[in-house]
Amino acid sequence: MNELLYLMILPAALALISLFLEVKLTRKLVPIVTWWQLAIVAFVLHPCLQGTERMQFASGLAIDKMGTYFILLTTFVVSCCVTHADYFFAAAEAAGDAYADRSLRLFYASVNLFLLAMTTVFLCDNLGYLWIAIEATTLSSAPLVYFERNKFALEATWKYLIVCSVGIAFALLGTVFIFAASQRGTPMEPTLNISELITHAQLLNFPLLRLGFIFCLIGYGTKAGIFPLHTWLPDAHAESPAPASAMLSGALLNCALFGIWKVASIINAAQPHSHVHQLVAVLGTVTVVAASLLLLRQHNFKRLWAYSSVENVGLMVFAIGLGSGPLFFLQALNHSLAKVALFLLTGNIIQASGTKKLNKMHGVIEDCPIWAGLLALAAFAVTGAPPFGAFVAEMSMLSLSMSDGRWILALIMTAAIAISFVAILAHVGKVIFGSGKQGFKSFQPARASIIPAILVLGTLVLGVGLNTEVWSGSWSVIR
Amino acid sequence: MVLDTFEALAMLAAIFGILILGTTHLRTNLSFYSLHTTAIAAVTAWIANITHDSHLYLVAAAVFAIKAWVIPYFLNTVIKKIGIGTDSGAFIAAPLSMHLGALLLGLSYVISLQIPGLIGDPDSRIGSTAAMSILFSGVLLMLTRRAAISQIVGFLVIENGIYLFAVTQTHGMPLMVEMGLLLEVLVAVMVAGLLLFNIKKSFEHIDVSQLTELKD
Repeated sequence: MNELLYLMILPAALALISLFLEVKLTRKLVPIVTWWQLAIVAFVLHPCLQGTERMQFASGLAIDKMGTYFILLTTFVVSCCVTHADYFFAAAEAAGDAYADRSLRLFYASVNLFLLAMTTVFLCDNLGYLWIAIEATTLSSAPLVYFERNKFALEATWKYLIVCSVGIAFALLGTVFIFAASQRGTPMEPTLNISELITHAQLLNFPLLRLGFIFCLIGYGTKAGIFPLHTWLPDAHAESPAPASAMLSGALLNCALFGIWKVASIINAAQPHSHVHQLVAVLGTVTVVAASLLLLRQHNFKRLWAYSSVENVGLMVFAIGLGSGPLFFLQALNHSLAKVALFLLTGNIIQASGTKKLNKMHGVIEDCPIWAGLLALAAFAVTGAPPFGAFVAEMSMLSLSMSDGRWILALIMTAAIAISFVAILAHVGKVIFGSGKQGFKSFQPARASIIPAILVLGTLVLGVGLNTEVWSGSWSVIR
Repeated sequence: MVLDTFEALAMLAAIFGILILGTTHLRTNLSFYSLHTTAIAAVTAWIANITHDSHLYLVAAAVFAIKAWVIPYFLNTVIKKIGIGTDSGAFIAAPLSMHLGALLLGLSYVISLQIPGLIGDPDSRIGSTAAMSILFSGVLLMLTRRAAISQIVGFLVIENGIYLFAVTQTHGMPLMVEMGLLLEVLVAVMVAGLLLFNIKKSFEHIDVSQLTELKD
């Protein structure tokens, strides 16, 4: 119980404090405390990293190895984003359109509630709590999407709130079905406890469990942005301020996918080779194909990255469909690192050039070589080009899928990844090359590049350091 | 066919759900929603009476207090403040969509026996019929109405359908989960209500079919 308090107290306290504190102070305080929170999370959960199977905190609240990795990733992403947010707001002030103090207070309070909700998602060992936590992430991030307070932001927020809430209502129906599955055909007490459900998976009423899984897949899939339920995603990502877009893409999507993974691991325990997994893999492939085609004709810089997130969600869903936890996490990790760097850099460039339109941006390499270089590297990283980490993940996924005999899916997937590679590089090439026109000097390019540079370096190290064999081989399922 | 009391109450809830479809007058909609939720709270209490499950009484009371009272009251205040009394127009005329709702109730009865895992469980048939019919009514409401507030009501009706399904099929989920759900729904409605004010302020209407600025 104490550990739980350690994990949650700082974000909760910060959410409250940042409503009252002087905004200038909050902007410095929140990053420091969030990095400290990362250290606390690592300290509290270190037994899980060192091989303990799971840590139980309270009834229905426990964490396993996979959850620990994700919680660390999420806290890291949020720390990077709030650190960069300080620069982002300073740059907005320098450019002459400073945000109102009230908006900033609400921003920081929401960020901390958002972090709290996401932390809770990974601590849940109960399908009901999981649903509540995931819906809480929607509600706490809605103010982040509405940050700009204009008509576009309003429309995006409304769509986000309604589409995700209704989508996730279907996950609740799925949860009810799974609860009913534990009640029928088994001698045990009905339960929503995930680890108990996994232990007694063979006893559950399988048709009901399968129905429940499909509804959970649709529900959490809406939140994750699976095609064709992704409609809210580009709007919300494009209209929120850059640090918030980065958090939505790098942290929030992982939470919804983690929900799918949890439910999938129950069905995996009940019947390891059911057709349901095939369905998930196909859904992932369809998402990747659709996203890669949509990537071809984009006119808005941030929507480009939003669709790239949809593509990556497809890849992660594919990994879940293959039943491979490590590959799911590896893809999530590399996507988060590269995409957060991209959204933050894109935010800088949009602030400096004053437009989001792709056809009006060119010559970043003349205006600011550091940003152009990092943008190119991060774009390579997110498309899965070697030697970056996503390449390792995607290669392992494809070879695993081949060895499972799903070579048609693997072939389609390869083609789609190639298309999105070409599409993204074509768009980014146009932004980078050409004649520059703006002086970016006033935007402190070096200071703005620190966080993106760290992230790009991280995914590069992962790509160089990881051994493909390890990830697709023996260590294939962790729960 | 003789219905058990809780089955009759569940059907009553389904019928109120269909009646919501029958009018575009927003305050009448909310009154019907309130009655519909009261019927659902009564179902919960009646099942608690049968199973002697004390936590279900608590859930019934909370459902009644929050969903049948606080939420409609809050939404009524919102309607009064923004000064919009009727839905500006449904994609399907209200009487037609009400009849469609009745048709879907029949369909729910037919497919209620088809849910895998619940086959051969005739005891639960009426409950799942009512729940599914409410679910369909909510979806229909969200699909056919233009006013943002009707979308919120649609979401609430869907949520009620799922809740009724849980209560009649599984005799209620664990107490903590139920309470968490209620809190979540309450917060969601509050956030949506606040957004509604802003939509009215910047667009001067609350017609969601006209929110189409954002596209590729």
